[in-house]
Amino acid sequence: MAKTYDYLFKLLLIGDSGVGKTCVLFRFSEDAFNTTFISTIGIDFKIRTIDLDGKKIKLQIWDTAGQERFRTITTAYYRGAMGIMLVYDITNEKSFENIKNWIRNIEENASADVEKMLLGNKCELEEKRQVSKERGEQLAIEYGIKFIETSAKASIRVEDAFFTLARDIKAKMEKKLKEASNPPKGHQLRASEPQKKPTSWLSRCSLL
Amino acid sequence: MPDCNVNFEAEIEEGQNKRSVKCKFCSSVILTPATAAIMNVEHSLPLIRQTKTTEENPDTETTSVFWAVKDMFTFQNVGFSNTVGNTKYLTCADCEAGPIGFHDIPTKMSFVALSRVSHGDPI
Ligand SMILES: Nc1nc2c(ncn2[C@@H]2O[C@H](COP(=O)(O)OP(=O)(O)OP(=O)(O)O)[C@@H](O)[C@H]2O)c(=O)[nH]1
Ligand SMILES: [Mg+2]
Ligand SMILES: [Zn+2]
Repeated sequence: MAKTYDYLFKLLLIGDSGVGKTCVLFRFSEDAFNTTFISTIGIDFKIRTIDLDGKKIKLQIWDTAGQERFRTITTAYYRGAMGIMLVYDITNEKSFENIKNWIRNIEENASADVEKMLLGNKCELEEKRQVSKERGEQLAIEYGIKFIETSAKASIRVEDAFFTLARDIKAKMEKKLKEASNPPKGHQLRASEPQKKPTSWLSRCSLL
Repeated sequence: MPDCNVNFEAEIEEGQNKRSVKCKFCSSVILTPATAAIMNVEHSLPLIRQTKTTEENPDTETTSVFWAVKDMFTFQNVGFSNTVGNTKYLTCADCEAGPIGFHDIPTKMSFVALSRVSHGDPI
């Protein structure tokens, strides 16, 4: 059967326990089926399909349990991940401070190519806010990543966040593919392009 | 809920799903038209609504008509549960209602029970 999609991106949700990673992964609904067999065994990952600039993109999204803490998340865990959503809770200072530790863990364990994005979740709880939007923006600038405030509960900008991350991965991937098919030629005397690290997901990834 | 006396014939075209396969509860699109093959296999599935929630001994029913999917990335939207034995259970990606079917790890095939989903045109 012909492939029904153009790209497949593997994404991870990372952040402290209770910041709302699991809620971000599905349209928050008060009457979620939370007393059933499924919630007892737990969800491993979800597959979602989005359309981006005429391309059909499959997102395979893994939820992670925050109580595992950054110390125990290792290379195996990040294998194949192309994008990571770093989630904190705007009403919880500690979860914001820990983003630095999560980023350090990603830098130590994930592919250098991995596209990251910062999410300040629970943004509808303005009266309980402990982390200003400016601090979120500042941290994102520091790490050169994108930032968005979301609310899984009020369905604010959650889809935007996934679209933005997917669009950035797609752009990065298309740029690399273009460079690979048109190597720079002419009178340039530069020795060679820096070698791609063998651990890069891009090197394992083919255009589907 | 016995699934043998329901008229599924109208949903089949050339052995495949004629219309979109959707969640019964929230209408999330699980499969787009003509992406899965009809298959008769007997398989016991835990009920969506359990009277008692025990992981080891859930209430089940035997289900026998499935949409078979070879490549999991054929799904439009779906959730995969953690592994139980050789199986991962399938759920709605949006409301997490399930199991709507199962994924067989050794063969990598996925099966969606017709009796646990609705069929319709994409919104
Ligand atoms: N007010 C508000 N509450 C939220 C929001 N998102 C999640 N929550 C609540 O925050 C709590 C924790 O959410 P989860 O999604 O389970 O958090 P998690 O990050 O998956 O936590 P772990 O699985 O322990 O790592 C739940 O009670 C949610 O209802 C939001 O946007 N606003
Ligand atoms: Mg969770
Ligand atoms: Zn649903």
